[in-house]
Parts: sequence; structure tokens; C-alpha cells
Amino acid sequence: MESLVSFLSSNAIYIVLIIVLIVWVGVFGYLFMLDKRLKNIESEMKGENK
Amino acid sequence: MIWKILLFLIIAFVSVAGIAFPIVEKPEFWYQFPLIPGLEENAKIIFFHVPTSWLTVIAFLMSTIYSIKYLRRKDLIDDAKAHTAAQLGMIFCILATVTGAVWAKFAWGSFWSWDPRQTSIFALLLIYGALFALRSAVEQEEKRATLASVYSIIAFVTVPFFIFIMPRIMKGLHPGSADDTHSGPVVDFKMNSNMLLIFYLSLIGFTILYYWMWQVGYKSMIYKDKLNKQF
Amino acid sequence: MTSIALFRKDLASELRTRYAINSLLMFIIVTISVILFSIGNEKISDYLSGGLFWVVVFFTAMSGLARAFVSEEERGTSLLLQLIASPATVFSGKLIFNLVLVFSMNVVIANLYTALFDAFVIKNLLLFSTAFLFGSIGIAISSTVIAAIIAKAGSKGTLYPVLSFPILLPLILILIELTKMSMDGTAFEEGYIEVAVLICYDVIMISASYLLFDFIWKD
Repeated sequence: MESLVSFLSSNAIYIVLIIVLIVWVGVFGYLFMLDKRLKNIESEMKGENK
Repeated sequence: MIWKILLFLIIAFVSVAGIAFPIVEKPEFWYQFPLIPGLEENAKIIFFHVPTSWLTVIAFLMSTIYSIKYLRRKDLIDDAKAHTAAQLGMIFCILATVTGAVWAKFAWGSFWSWDPRQTSIFALLLIYGALFALRSAVEQEEKRATLASVYSIIAFVTVPFFIFIMPRIMKGLHPGSADDTHSGPVVDFKMNSNMLLIFYLSLIGFTILYYWMWQVGYKSMIYKDKLNKQF
Repeated sequence: MTSIALFRKDLASELRTRYAINSLLMFIIVTISVILFSIGNEKISDYLSGGLFWVVVFFTAMSGLARAFVSEEERGTSLLLQLIASPATVFSGKLIFNLVLVFSMNVVIANLYTALFDAFVIKNLLLFSTAFLFGSIGIAISSTVIAAIIAKAGSKGTLYPVLSFPILLPLILILIELTKMSMDGTAFEEGYIEVAVLICYDVIMISASYLLFDFIWKD
């Protein structure tokens, strides 16, 4: 753990990398959720029309 | 489903590769990038900045294509598609402007210096802004769609002036400009094959991401309209 | 009804009220005097005065050119115009009217400007007048089509410069470049590419607005 902290403080670029990856996971998860909800609404609306 | 996982992996890989892979003078391993004189570490922005500005233009193109479609068929679904494309284009345009300005601070010394490319991205930002101002000014749906379509087509025919002609007749600092001597057309020969591969992967990944966002956006807009009409 | 007849009608109604002419003239005087006040006794560089010239032209055009279509909507005569004339005729008639207006306005601005600004000296008059001619045509075309959009959008006055600026921006940038060149006295051949781009802009804009005007006009 100690060595990891010292490694990160000397190579700040990896902190940037970790933050970028976290942001990307967030954006992807949000989009994924939206897509799923949209599909649910789509199937519901099609069911109503029948 | 598969392409979503693929998209996730592509962009995650591009982020890891673009940020963490070292730039060395003589690349020996597959994960090392070549040193481009005049750009050095700053060259890494190409994996994130170029896709966003590419998408800005693609989104504008799509918005124009659906505007033409709308004028032909008068189908409001086409208008929703054009509108979503313009909204996404605005987001990517802001991203491209901000990343470019931050990069310029470290490469050129100031955030903004009215380089031809900066002027053109600024004009694109203004066009998107004007398009939304026009949309918010008109109440009636069909009229709004028609006027916005006409305006986006007229604005689109001026874009070639910004993107292709301006940077070539005016002197600029941007890599790839007419009088750029040392970092030349970066894409053509200064990047080695692994850098090019990651660059193209990034372009493909961002384009798929844009397409997905566009689909989610216009579908939600259409359903919202349908629900509003039902109740 | 031909476009010339429409132009005559516009001209006659304009000469009767002199609304656009008076407001344009006053606007020119106001803008130039504001610039003169803010400069005061300081010396400004030649290039800056060349750029300010086009600033005056742009804002004067924005203040008066929307009238062409907005006045029709205000008086409620646009429906009648739709009945008696085809969209192409309406567009070309309005375009001729705006061309005349822009051109006379720019001539006034140029003369006033050379008289009042010592720094504004044109060495290559041929290059400048070419830029002036095609620049005026470009401004007239773009502002006519945007005026049509504005009139249909419920004549929102503030929207007009917002919509016109991005469309006119490439034109203005090239014009400033050409003005700099003609102030330096560069030969006409060297400004060839810029003039070609300028003519390109005019041709592209006129064909695009001619094609799209149908959709704006009949809704």
C-alpha cells in the first residue's frame, strides 16, 4: 500500500488515468441505464397500441 | 449488446493507451509512441481532441442531412433526429474547444490566440448557439422545424470555408496548418503504426459512442412527443 | 409581377417613409462617432482602422436590412405577396432592394471613414474596390435570407445579428484580410486566392438561399 502511494505521487499521470476511467465507467453506465429504460417504454407503448 | 461491450472496451483501452503509454525517442516495444519534434508529450491529446472535433463536424453533417430530409418529407421525426444531432454536436464542440484551449496553454503559451482553427471552432459554437436561439424563438412545431432546417443548411454551406479554406489561407499555429514546418501533417507520416492504430480505434470508438447517444436522444424525444399528444 | 416591379414598389414605399434610409444614416453617424470618441487623441494602427471599418459595415447592415421582410409581416401584406408573386420573384426583388441599400450604405460609410480617419489609407484601390463590391453583394445576400427567417420567426429583432454573425463571419474575416492587403499596397495578383474565395462565398450563398427560400416563404 505504501509503495503504491509513493508510486502514484511520483507518476501523477496514472491518477489522471484512473479518474478518466472512472468518468468513462460513469458515462457508460448512465447511457446503458437510459437505453434500457427507453427499451422498456418502447415495448410498453407498443403493447398499448395493440 | 455485444457492440456495447466492445465500445466500452475500445474506449477504456484508448484511455489507458493514450494516457499511460510512454513517448520515447526510438520506440522498441509495441506500447511505446514515437517522439514528434515540437509536440513531445503534448502529442497525446490527439487521441481525445481530434475525435471530439471530428464528431462536431459529423454531428453537424447529420443534422443537415436530416434537415434536408425534413424539408422533403415534412416528417417531424426527421426534425427530432436533426435536433438531437445538433445538441450532441454542441456538446462535442464545447469539449473540443476546452481540450484545445487547455492544450494550447501548454503548447503555445496562452489559452486562446485566434488561430484559424480556433476561429473556426468558435464559429461552429456560434452557429450551434444561433440554431438553438432560433429554435427557442418559434412556438409552432412545424414552423420551428422548417426554419431551423433552413438555417442549419445555410449555416452548413459556410462550414467548408472555416474548416478547409481558412486554415489554409491564414497563417496558423495548429499542427497540420499550411505553414507548419516541423510537426507537419501529423497524421500522415509522423505517427508510427501503433499510434495510428490507437488513433483510429479512438475515432471509431467515439463515433460509435456518438451514434448510440444520438439514438437514445432522438428516441426519447419522439416518445416524449407521443406521450404529450396522448394526454 | 416581376422582381423589378417588386423592387420599384419597395423603393417607392421606402422613399415615402424613408424609415430604413434615415435609421441607417443615423446608425452610421452614431457608430462612427462612438469609435471616434473612444479613440480620442490616441493614434490607432492602420490595421485596426481597417478592421473597424468592417465592424461599422456589419452593425449598420444588422440595424436596417431586416426591414425588407419584417415590414411585409408587420403590415400584413406577405399573404398578398404570396398570392401575386412566385417565391423566386419575391426573393430576387427583395435581394435587389437590399443590394442597392447595402451598396449605397457602404459607399457612404467608406467616404465618411476616409474623411474622418487619418490612418485609413488605401494604397491598392483596385483590390479594395473588388473586395468592397463582392463583400457588399455577400452581405446583401446573407442578410436577405436571414431577414426572411427572422420575419417568419415572429420578427424578433435581437435574433437577427445572432443568426447573421456566424453566416457572415467567413466573409468578414476574408474582407479584413483583403483590406489589410490593400492598405499594404500588395499587388492584385497576390490577393487572387482571397478574391476567389469571396466570389465563391457569394455564389454558394446565392444558390443556397435561392433554393431554400421556397421553404421559408410558403408555410
